[in-house]
Amino acid sequence: MSDILIDDRIRDWVFLPIIIVMFMIQMFRGLLTKYMDNRKTSQKVTSKAQLAEMIDKNITQQSQRLARLHGLLPDQSFKMKRAHLCDHESGILTKASQKPAKDPMQSMSMMNPAAMADMLKQNLSGIVFMALQYQWVSYFFSGFVIGKVPFPLTQKFRTMLQRGVDVQNLDVRYISSISIYFVLLFGGLQKIQQLMFGDDNDEFVDDTQMQMQMQMMGMPTMPSLGQQNDPGKLFIAERTRLEGVKHTFELNKSQDKAMKSLKRFLMQ
Amino acid sequence: MEEPKVELDDLEVNQERLKQNTNQLKNLRVYGSLNAGIIAGTLGMDGWIGIVIYIAIFLIVSACLAIKMNFKVKEYFRSSYDAYYSGIGTDLLLFLMIWVIFHNLVNIL
Repeated sequence: MSDILIDDRIRDWVFLPIIIVMFMIQMFRGLLTKYMDNRKTSQKVTSKAQLAEMIDKNITQQSQRLARLHGLLPDQSFKMKRAHLCDHESGILTKASQKPAKDPMQSMSMMNPAAMADMLKQNLSGIVFMALQYQWVSYFFSGFVIGKVPFPLTQKFRTMLQRGVDVQNLDVRYISSISIYFVLLFGGLQKIQQLMFGDDNDEFVDDTQMQMQMQMMGMPTMPSLGQQNDPGKLFIAERTRLEGVKHTFELNKSQDKAMKSLKRFLMQ
Repeated sequence: MEEPKVELDDLEVNQERLKQNTNQLKNLRVYGSLNAGIIAGTLGMDGWIGIVIYIAIFLIVSACLAIKMNFKVKEYFRSSYDAYYSGIGTDLLLFLMIWVIFHNLVNIL
């Protein structure tokens, strides 16, 4: 199979522009998200049901924190805290677990005002740009071969990589322009952008990755999943977990630990 | 409002510094993949040899990191697996992208 010679002008007017434009749009998106984050004010609690939800969330957080960091507390205070949460009649967890299970439809409508606006903004900055770039690339640059991938691929990739090019026996290694778009999209212009923006953008990257995955699956997901349906069970689970915690105060072990680290230090 | 995750075992580990270290490691890996992609692309490597180059450069980066740390991994990272081998799959896509771009720019177009 002889090599195909590709015109210089394809490189100048197609290959490089696609890369440069996608890179610029990625940077622009980063700046946009930064700007919108700065303008986001904290959410106000607007309804009674939302208040109750916040209270529930705080209770779960408190019990989880206690279960995780129990070693920091001396025996007496741990017992008091645990009793405050798990007591048979007056503990907070027992009281909370006796509330009726919330209706899922009702709870979803509670999230609407603030969370929906947030999600819309995130989707806007993510999906709209993706769709826009796809349209741009496939409108202007379709119908010809743009380059070659360095590794051998099977025939199954032909439809994806050679969209618009109808030559049947063309080597699958020759790709059309839309496949460069995909390679750039998945390959991670985000990583390079991270290099430029520094490391105060960790949350940004996670958000867009999550957004892309959410869009792929095609299902809109709510920010807090699964806890809406039956808080009673959740509280009962937390309670059994707390009651099963074997508590030791870490300070009792601290002398041994200090000895060990001192020995290790002296032996170096 | 997320509170930072503090596990009891990690009370001996300084969280801020660990985070700084992991960020630097991530940047380092990205540079490594970029360089590997440029090398593989400009030399015109074909097929599986390219992936071998990527793994080779990844291991070279890990070795340089080990020399810089004087082989005392515990003082800088949580475990040697974390520091040396953990991110190899995530930067592979970045490597592929750079490889395709440079291979096309230099050899074909």
